Amino acid sequence: MDNETANSVVGILMIPLGLLGLLLASRALDSEIYLFGLSLTAFAALFGFGVIKRRYDRAEARRAHRSDAQ
Amino acid sequence: MSDTTLSAHAGPPAVVHYNEAVVRKFMIAAMFWAVVAFAVGCYLAAELSWPAFNLGFSFTNFGRLRPVHTSAAIFAFGGSMLFGTAIYVVQRTCRARLFGGEVLADFVFWGYQFFIVMAALSYVMGYSQGREYAEPEWHLDLWLTMIWVIFAIIFVGTLLKRTEPHIYVANWFYLSFIITVAVLHLGNNMAVPVSFFGAKSYSLFSGVQDAMVQWWYGHNAVGFFLTAGFLGMMYYFIPKAAGRPVYSYRLSIVHFWSLIFLYIWAGPHHLHYTALPEWASTLGMTFSIMLWMPSWGGMINGLMTLSGAWDKLRTDPVLRIMVVSVAFYGMSTFEGPLMSIKQVNSLSHYTDWTIGHVHSGALGWVAYISFGALYCMIPWLWQRKLYSLKLVDWHFWISTIGIVFYISAMWVAGIMQGLMWRAYTPLGFLEYSFVETVQATHPYYIIRAIGGGLFLIGAVIMAINIYLTIRQGESEAHAQAGLSLAPAE
Repeated sequence: MDNETANSVVGILMIPLGLLGLLLASRALDSEIYLFGLSLTAFAALFGFGVIKRRYDRAEARRAHRSDAQ
Repeated sequence: MSDTTLSAHAGPPAVVHYNEAVVRKFMIAAMFWAVVAFAVGCYLAAELSWPAFNLGFSFTNFGRLRPVHTSAAIFAFGGSMLFGTAIYVVQRTCRARLFGGEVLADFVFWGYQFFIVMAALSYVMGYSQGREYAEPEWHLDLWLTMIWVIFAIIFVGTLLKRTEPHIYVANWFYLSFIITVAVLHLGNNMAVPVSFFGAKSYSLFSGVQDAMVQWWYGHNAVGFFLTAGFLGMMYYFIPKAAGRPVYSYRLSIVHFWSLIFLYIWAGPHHLHYTALPEWASTLGMTFSIMLWMPSWGGMINGLMTLSGAWDKLRTDPVLRIMVVSVAFYGMSTFEGPLMSIKQVNSLSHYTDWTIGHVHSGALGWVAYISFGALYCMIPWLWQRKLYSLKLVDWHFWISTIGIVFYISAMWVAGIMQGLMWRAYTPLGFLEYSFVETVQATHPYYIIRAIGGGLFLIGAVIMAINIYLTIRQGESEAHAQAGLSLAPAE
C-alpha cells in the first residue's frame, strides 16, 4: 500500500469514528460519555479535514514543482 | 521531513526521507506536558502543606488532581518523549522511513494527545476506575489500546523494512516497552462496563487477585514504561552526545534480557503484609533483589560509555544532565530493591519514603534523560544551534537542587513517620497519635514544595530556551551549525 492510499484509508476511517462519537453523545447516561462522544466527533472531523487539506496541499506542491521544471 | 543521503553501502547512495515532522510534534508536546505536570505537582505539594489550597471545589481537591499530575508526568510528558524518540531512533538506526505513511503517524500523535486531554478531564470530573496509574475508565482504555496497536504496527513495520542488517539495542528496549505495556494495559483493564453508554465499569477480578493484577501492572509500568523505554533513550542519546560507542554492546544485550525477565515478577513487593499469600510476597521480594544486577549493569554501561570523554562533562551541560540521570537510575534502582525487603518495607510502606523513592526515579532518571534527549533533538530536528548553553546550565543546577530538596525531605519525613507509627510506650500503647505524625512531617512537606518549585523553574527555563532555539533565525542557524548538527545513524 503506498503512502497516499494509506493516508486516504486513515481519513475515511474518521467517518465511522465521528459517527460513533455522535452515537455515544446522543445516548450518554453520564456527563463523561457525553463529553467523550462530542469530543470524539470533533476530533474525527478535525483530523479528517486535516487529511483532506494535506492531500490538496501536496497536489498543489506537485503542480508547482512541475511548472517550475518546465 | 529530512532527506539524508547515505553512502555506507556499495552502489549508488540511497536517499531516505525520514518522517521527522511527527517527531517534532512529540517533542513540543513533551515540553508542554512537562511544565503542566510539574506545575500541577507543585500545586498538590502546596495543598498537602496548606490544605486551604483545596479551595473547597470538588475538581481542585487532592484526590482528583493527583492522577492529573501522575498521568501528565508519566503518560503525557514521558509518553510523548518515548513515542517521539522511538520513532526517531527506529528510523535512523534502521535507515528506513517510518512505516505506514505520514497520516497514520499523525493519527498516533493526535490520538495520544486526545487520550491525555480526555483522561485529565475525566479525572477532574470525578471519573476514575480507582487503579493507580490506570485511572481512565473503559472507553478511554479502548481508545488508548487502538492508538497503542497502531504505534506498535508502525514501529515493528519500520523494523521489518530496515536496510540495516542489525537491530540496534535501543530498539530492543523500545520494542519491549511497546509490547509489554500493551499486555499490561489489557490485563489490568479487563472490566465490564455497566452500559455501553455509561462510563462506570467493574473489574473482572476481585479481592486480593484484583490487587495483585493492579500491582503486576503498576510495578511493570515502572519497569517497562519508565525504565525499559528510557533505557532505549539512554542507549541512543548518551553515545551520540558523548561521541563514543556504547561501552559494552554485549553487556547491553545481557542488561536487556535479564531486565525484562526479572522485572515482570517483582510486582508482589507492593503488597507485603496484606492478604496476598506469603509465597507470592517472597517471590516478588526475591526477584526485586535480583534486579540489582541488571540495573547496575546498565548503569555501569551508560556511565562507562563516557570513557575517554569525561572531560566533556565540564563543557557540555547536556551530557552532564544525561550522566546525572544515569547516576539517579543507579541510585533509585538500588533503593527500590532495598525497600522491597520485607523488614525494610515494614518501616517504609505507606510513608513518604515511597514518595521520595518514586521522585528520585521520576525526576532524577526519567525527567533528566528526557531533558538530555530534548536538548539533543531540538537542534537536530530544527537544524539550529541551541539558543543558550548557559540556560541549560542554570536548568541543570536549579533542578538538581530542587531534586535534592525534594527527595531528602521525603526520606527524612518517611523514616520519621515509620518510626513514629511503630513507637510504643512501656505500657504497650502507641506513643504518638496519627495527627502528631502529620504535624511532625509538616515542615518537610513545605521543603518538598520548595524543591518541586525549583524543579518547575528549571523546566520553564528549558521551555524558554527551546522556544528561542526554534524561533531563532534560520539563516544564522544554518551558517553556524551546518550539517554537523544532524546525527550520524
